[in-house]
Amino acid sequence: MSYLEIRNLQKKYTKNGPMIVNNMNLSIEKGEFIVFLGPSGCGKTTTIRMISGLEEVTGGDICIEGESILAKKPKERGVSMIFQSYAIWPHMTVFDNIAYPLKLQNVPREEIRRRVETAAAATDIQGLLKRYPAQMSGGQRQRVAVSRAIVVEPKLFLMDEPLSNLDAKLRVSMRTELKNIHNKLGATSIFVTHDQAEAMSLADRIVVMYKGNIEQIGTPMEVYQDSATRFVAEFIGTPPTNFFMTSIERTEEGVQAVGDGFCYQVPVGLTDTLLPYAGRKIEMGVRPEYIEISPGLDRTEGYLTDVDIRFVEPQGSHSILIAKVGATEIKIHTTKYMDIAAGSRVSLNVKEGRVMFFDCDTGKRVK
Amino acid sequence: MSKSTGQAASTVGIPKKSSFSRIIPYVLLAPVFIYYAVFWLLPVVSGVKEVFTDLNGDFTLVGNFKLMAESDLFNEAVMNTAAFAVISVILQYLLALVLAVLLSRKFKGAKLLMFVAMIPMAITPTATAILWKTGLVRDGWINTLLLQFHLISEPLVFMNAEGFKAVLMVILIDTWTVTPSVMIILIAGLQGLQREMKEAAYTFGANKWQIFKDIVLPILKPSITTSIIMRLIAAIQVWAIAVMVMGYSKTPFLVERIAFYVDVVPGVDTSTKLAFTYSFLTTIVVLLATVVYLKVSHKGVQKGGEQA
Repeated sequence: MSYLEIRNLQKKYTKNGPMIVNNMNLSIEKGEFIVFLGPSGCGKTTTIRMISGLEEVTGGDICIEGESILAKKPKERGVSMIFQSYAIWPHMTVFDNIAYPLKLQNVPREEIRRRVETAAAATDIQGLLKRYPAQMSGGQRQRVAVSRAIVVEPKLFLMDEPLSNLDAKLRVSMRTELKNIHNKLGATSIFVTHDQAEAMSLADRIVVMYKGNIEQIGTPMEVYQDSATRFVAEFIGTPPTNFFMTSIERTEEGVQAVGDGFCYQVPVGLTDTLLPYAGRKIEMGVRPEYIEISPGLDRTEGYLTDVDIRFVEPQGSHSILIAKVGATEIKIHTTKYMDIAAGSRVSLNVKEGRVMFFDCDTGKRVK
Repeated sequence: MSKSTGQAASTVGIPKKSSFSRIIPYVLLAPVFIYYAVFWLLPVVSGVKEVFTDLNGDFTLVGNFKLMAESDLFNEAVMNTAAFAVISVILQYLLALVLAVLLSRKFKGAKLLMFVAMIPMAITPTATAILWKTGLVRDGWINTLLLQFHLISEPLVFMNAEGFKAVLMVILIDTWTVTPSVMIILIAGLQGLQREMKEAAYTFGANKWQIFKDIVLPILKPSITTSIIMRLIAAIQVWAIAVMVMGYSKTPFLVERIAFYVDVVPGVDTSTKLAFTYSFLTTIVVLLATVVYLKVSHKGVQKGGEQA
């Protein structure tokens, strides 16, 4: 039995309206840092709000430690929530903000003081206890919200885009700190975000959601390197995966994926899987860093075609090259030829074992 | 160190200003000062002078106050004003708070209800007075309605009301008129309250009453203070509705007395003195009420902060 079990969870806001969360199933182990990742409207915030008790459940069940929490009030569920807007109360000092949940539980005064001080120390705001929120920066306010969530010693931390109101630099340092706090407390956390970089850097496992469905559950490496659906391949990664519409053809040399302006030799390992698609359309995807360029026009096993580099976008540590294969614009991530001139003619070769195929109808990976 | 370099820059870097450029700000502001001197300060000074001189123009500290205290209906005016201020502010305030909390929820028809609730605001006091006067007379619309629905068998007589009953009637009419304006201030305050602040309290175990008492009400406090002061000042200065619905001297109030002495008995020597003295008294009362209220509400804030 997992620590948190979500079974066939459903949510509709109106009787005949769309399913905001559609038969979600998920198991989370104690101590995990889980990130719900997806574009706005994918149901990730709705799910976390159902776990916290702020939102009613339409169908399914949520269990913590084997016990259904649906009938319980938020405080009985043992969860605490960190909100996007921090939601700290402007008329209370930092001390009072952190102490309020304990006061509601009628914890003795001395114990409140002790626990608030410990929670404040965990986020490094001991010196600010007498201040009011208006006298603090966004980052400090978020620390107050985190302390307040810690102080009740919850079974589960729920974080609803807690970093998106911070400026870019602070966001990066704060996320490291959140992960650090999570590790120190040995907490179990669910973190909601639409920022894939945030998800990748924080998560033990990422739950990628789209239109109320789970697209993939996996470690950051798995969802990136081994995307389960076309959506995941496109949503995760900057720049996103390059997609080519191809048709599978059987030739004397083996199985080929023929697209607009190129002809790709399907690796032997995939031929059996792709043969059923012979004569049909299938989408091919390659991440920008797995398209290798050869200014000497060398061709390897994974040869695609020859193209002219249209634009070069230097990023310092790497460059993004933009070219056209047929009518499709593609992006290439290179660390080898960062100084290549726009207009150069190069050969494109897909790195071995890095090609992905997706079913055109279902969007699912074919492998 | 930065301070000394700053000073050095200001003395060394910037050339000394000519005396003309130094008086420019005063020249530019002069029209405002002159305007205030002529249209505000002068009348105030001459008014205060009237209060402290007798009919012959000699100085008197308390003479006019004695005159006022002995004049007809002085005690009634003071008592009525006090009763009106206390009852109407509390009544209007509670009503507005309930309406504001209800109307700032999202439900079908909330916008329409808000619109209806704000109608009284758009009606001028004169029209309000006429509206209610035509309702309160023996064959007015109130009696007609009550008879129509068989709630009464004989027409009620409202206009004969005297003393406290009459004041109560003025309070009710005033409440009908001004509650929406208090409500708007409170709704504005409620809109500044993020939904997540209430949700946070809820997830940490606060019930509805605790959320209202510990979160909503304190966050609303600045708007509450503002609206109460505004209502308090307006309540102390009540007169137009009283006079227009009830007539002079039926429900005496402080400002109603001023109007009475200016409007009804202007010929009598003492009228001017009485009008000025009443004005002076009203101003002092308004100032005191405001100061006391601010002190009390500020203390409440500090205490709340220390307690927790």
